[in-house]
Amino acid sequence: MSERLSVLLLDDEPIVGKRLGPALTKIGCDVEAFEDPKLALERIDQKTFDVVVTDIRMGEIDGMQVLDRVRTKSPRTRVILITGYAMMELAREAMEKGAFDFISKPFKANDLRQVVAKAARELGVSMDLESPAIPGR
Amino acid sequence: MSIIIISSDSTKMGEEIAQKTAQALDYACLGRDLLDIVADQYGIPKEKLEWALEALPSAWGRSAGLQGQCLAYIQSATLSELLKDNMVCHGLAAHLYVVGVSHALRVRILADPVELAREISGQGDLSPEKGLRLIDRQRKSRRQWSRTLYQLDETDPSQYDLVISLSQIDADEAVKIIAQTSRYRRFAPMTYSLRCIKDAELAGRVRAALLEAFPNVKVRADGGTVIVETKGTRRNKLKKAAAIKEQVQNMEGVDYVEVHVKNGPFKKAP
Repeated sequence: MSERLSVLLLDDEPIVGKRLGPALTKIGCDVEAFEDPKLALERIDQKTFDVVVTDIRMGEIDGMQVLDRVRTKSPRTRVILITGYAMMELAREAMEKGAFDFISKPFKANDLRQVVAKAARELGVSMDLESPAIPGR
Repeated sequence: MSIIIISSDSTKMGEEIAQKTAQALDYACLGRDLLDIVADQYGIPKEKLEWALEALPSAWGRSAGLQGQCLAYIQSATLSELLKDNMVCHGLAAHLYVVGVSHALRVRILADPVELAREISGQGDLSPEKGLRLIDRQRKSRRQWSRTLYQLDETDPSQYDLVISLSQIDADEAVKIIAQTSRYRRFAPMTYSLRCIKDAELAGRVRAALLEAFPNVKVRADGGTVIVETKGTRRNKLKKAAAIKEQVQNMEGVDYVEVHVKNGPFKKAP
């Protein structure tokens, strides 16, 4: 088992990667951030990540397609979907297709860290959550 | 924290199915016993709360306001319970206000018509024609009740994730179907759906707290931000907004309060 959780972060808004990448690195993740879904899928084909965090609405390729591709390639990988257009039917569809979690924007970085930490526990990867940014939550 | 909400045209069957489902899944069961707690908390007789859940709404007079208030108190208490644990809920109209929460499985149970007619009439043997008339009258009454108070038709099957007719499937089979369906991944709790129900609980709690002093208030919650809308005159707008803010800002779970006081004649708030 890897000692550090490998995470692929995909969102076509640059600010998301800039904000969430360091937030996940702080708790011991190895993060690769992408804005282009095509490049992200190429990387997913090359490497098996522990966790993939992906936006849903990104133009030509959406997060549900990324979910399908990841689940086909590596059922072990936990896929977390994030979206600013959350709706009940979309959430249910995502879970049915095997998403690990579904988070609506806006959210705090700590919310995502909690979910990633939960994924890490399921994968048997230890994480350092002893960060001042996560006070006992 | 899974939720199963049972609605039925038969109070008796709704309760029976809910209790059996809770037992089968080892979930807690939430029903009309909650009204004792609501009665204590808000100082309203339990009979009034039961009346609010059953009586056709009146457009006029104090009873219209009182019914809305009672239902708001029931809603607030129910949502608070639904945050706690895996739960089967019945008899508290939750199918009408736990809406859009993806981990809440909403189930409609249609009782056998012969049994339902007996339950409604309180009599043994009824002619089929009389039975059907009673059922039809009850259905219309419930449709009017739910549309007026919640802008939803509780008799419309499209409101539910699962509809089971007990004239074809017995109660124990229905329980198995519900238990099996509740295990589908699509009904699993997720961060988004947990937030939806937390927002609903906060909005419900704030509304219940405000209703006595501000009967036409509407409340939404988004994270810890609470948005309150009400009507007022130009003269008392600021005072009203300040009074609402003062009441709400220190409530548990509230980070920020926004109050919108709109000019104009009072309309009945949903």
